[in-house]
Amino acid sequence: MKRAVWSGSLAAALLMAASAAMAEGPEATRAAAQLAPYRQLPKFEAPGEAFDARACMKDKSILSIPASSAVPFLKVIETSMAKVAKDIGFNLKEWENQGQPTQWVQGIDYAISNKYNLIDLLAGTDPRFLEPQVKAAKDAGLKVMAAHLTGFEQPPPGGVTGVVPIDYKRAGALLGDWAISKTDGNVNALVLTVNDVLSTDSMVSGLKEEFAQCPRCKVNYINIPILDFATKTQTIVQSALTADPSINYVIPLYDVLSQWVVPAITITGREGQTKITTFNGTPFAIAFVQQGKIEMDLGENLDWIAHGVVDAEARVLCGLPMVKDPHIPLYIFDKANADTAGKPPQPSTGYGDAYLAGYRKLWKLQ
Amino acid sequence: MAMSTPNSAVLVDWFERLALLLAWAFVIIVFGAVRPTTFLTWANFSAILGSQAVLVVVALGLTLTLTAGDYDLSIASVLSLAGTVLAVLNARNDVPIVWAIAAALAVGAAVGFINGFFVIYFRINSMIVTLGVGTFVHGVTLWLGNQETISGISSGLVEAVIVRRLFGVPLSFYYALTLCVIIWYVFSYTVLGRRLLFVGRGREIARLSGIRVDRLRWGCFIVSGLMGAIAGILYVGTVAAADPNSGLSFLLPAFAAAFLGATSINPGRFNPWGTMISVYFLVTGITGLSILGVSTFIQDLFYGGALVVSVTLSQIVRGREERLT
Repeated sequence: MKRAVWSGSLAAALLMAASAAMAEGPEATRAAAQLAPYRQLPKFEAPGEAFDARACMKDKSILSIPASSAVPFLKVIETSMAKVAKDIGFNLKEWENQGQPTQWVQGIDYAISNKYNLIDLLAGTDPRFLEPQVKAAKDAGLKVMAAHLTGFEQPPPGGVTGVVPIDYKRAGALLGDWAISKTDGNVNALVLTVNDVLSTDSMVSGLKEEFAQCPRCKVNYINIPILDFATKTQTIVQSALTADPSINYVIPLYDVLSQWVVPAITITGREGQTKITTFNGTPFAIAFVQQGKIEMDLGENLDWIAHGVVDAEARVLCGLPMVKDPHIPLYIFDKANADTAGKPPQPSTGYGDAYLAGYRKLWKLQ
Repeated sequence: MAMSTPNSAVLVDWFERLALLLAWAFVIIVFGAVRPTTFLTWANFSAILGSQAVLVVVALGLTLTLTAGDYDLSIASVLSLAGTVLAVLNARNDVPIVWAIAAALAVGAAVGFINGFFVIYFRINSMIVTLGVGTFVHGVTLWLGNQETISGISSGLVEAVIVRRLFGVPLSFYYALTLCVIIWYVFSYTVLGRRLLFVGRGREIARLSGIRVDRLRWGCFIVSGLMGAIAGILYVGTVAAADPNSGLSFLLPAFAAAFLGATSINPGRFNPWGTMISVYFLVTGITGLSILGVSTFIQDLFYGGALVVSVTLSQIVRGREERLT
């Protein structure tokens, strides 16, 4: 009798599990499979062959011009790059600026007149606005690299020597996959794009490809110019939620926008019904994940980016082949692991430290 | 020869006073007709009213200095600084939220004091002083917050700003409304308000009339700094984080609201009700356009166009020689 009950229970459990598996549609299963690798702690993958970075970089110099020194995300990368350069033993200087293209022009002129070897246009210093200056620098024998600006499939912009790309298309696709897997393919999403930023094209193409494979998904894209972030984001999201209360996901492409999306959801009384999934892994946004205000933030390790950019640019200066994929990983932060980023979250924390030893070995520093 | 009768003059006067309210009603009727089920809902109006308190408070702060004949271009920087001071104290150093708010208010008043000091003692144009001080304050904000967006603010503040509601509208709206009522009362029913108006209209005449012009102007800068700090506190309470850069983008919309507000209720004068109504008129239009799904550039056309057309119509209707400066 006891055995019959046990067998019956097992059969019921198996039946329930099978039903649950069958209940999940193919879109959700596919999306969950796409996400799975990005839930694992990132592993270091060498972007190229090992080389003696200290020997080849000892008389080289790089001037790095970030999109704006006032942007926290960029400041962290610059600080890390300076630390890496010191470790390798070459001169890397940040051109401090407040995001004005005229200051970028000044920086390029400074690099030319002070005989730097390479100009690094970092994460938003758009070479399309600097074509004459980029040409002048190249004519003077400098290399000009655009880092953390374009996706793998985007051509080098503005006549630069090369790019250090990021897999933005994958990042966009993963944001879509998250919503698809969580709703079993019944997404009604509002996507907030920032068309001023070149990487947006790549992210949107990734998102569109994923949603194209989800027949029941509905997506509305709204562009918010950078200048309007603080004044319009909240109003636009509130209006969209009022116009269509069935929106179940808001996807700001960059997590800086989430600070205005969160109050929009609160004010319209959509907490718990409309979720947020976003990209960048900025500490304040991971704190929102810890508090349950953002469901998922796809993070990128800023220190890892710094290592990847220095590696790719050192290879250019050392005459090695251009890096096609710097293997800078993406990592999912949700409620389950957000605390690993620290409390309060810290930059470059929670991603493991496999890359530190990896790069030192790659550069023959140990 | 056609002559306007006293009755028609009164009608024109009333039309002018209520023009902005009528325009607001017109916008509501148009969008309500196009999207009745979504636009004409209490949830929508609750969201409109509850989300603009920060802009209203900044615009009200500007109304004070503009009435006294000065510009305060630093008010948006004060917003960011006050928010960052509050966040650094509360989220990073575990200072109780009440003390953090008090510190933020003190910082706002101090910046206003410094503005006033340079304007009054050194007789420098207020636009130049507040531009310089505002830029300096922005630098201090970036340094203080380590150029980061700081989260982890006490949930009590967020509760008190946007989570708790009265008649379905977040409390932030009522804070802004209260400030508007106070300023309206001071402007309309106190000697101080009247003197302030004289100072703004003719500084030298006011001085010759025995009004302590410098003291009044200085006081306006201090209160404007305080208003900037209150806006910063409301901003942090709304977004549950302090961002060192975002506050700056409130400056131009706030000026637009103050100038637009000066065409109505008390035409020709910067006035709190006109300012508050103009914020909600502009935001209602933008919300309606968002609900229709139009691009953000159309919203800019509405915002800028509404400002210029309203001010122009106001001048045409009045046909007076006095002009807004």
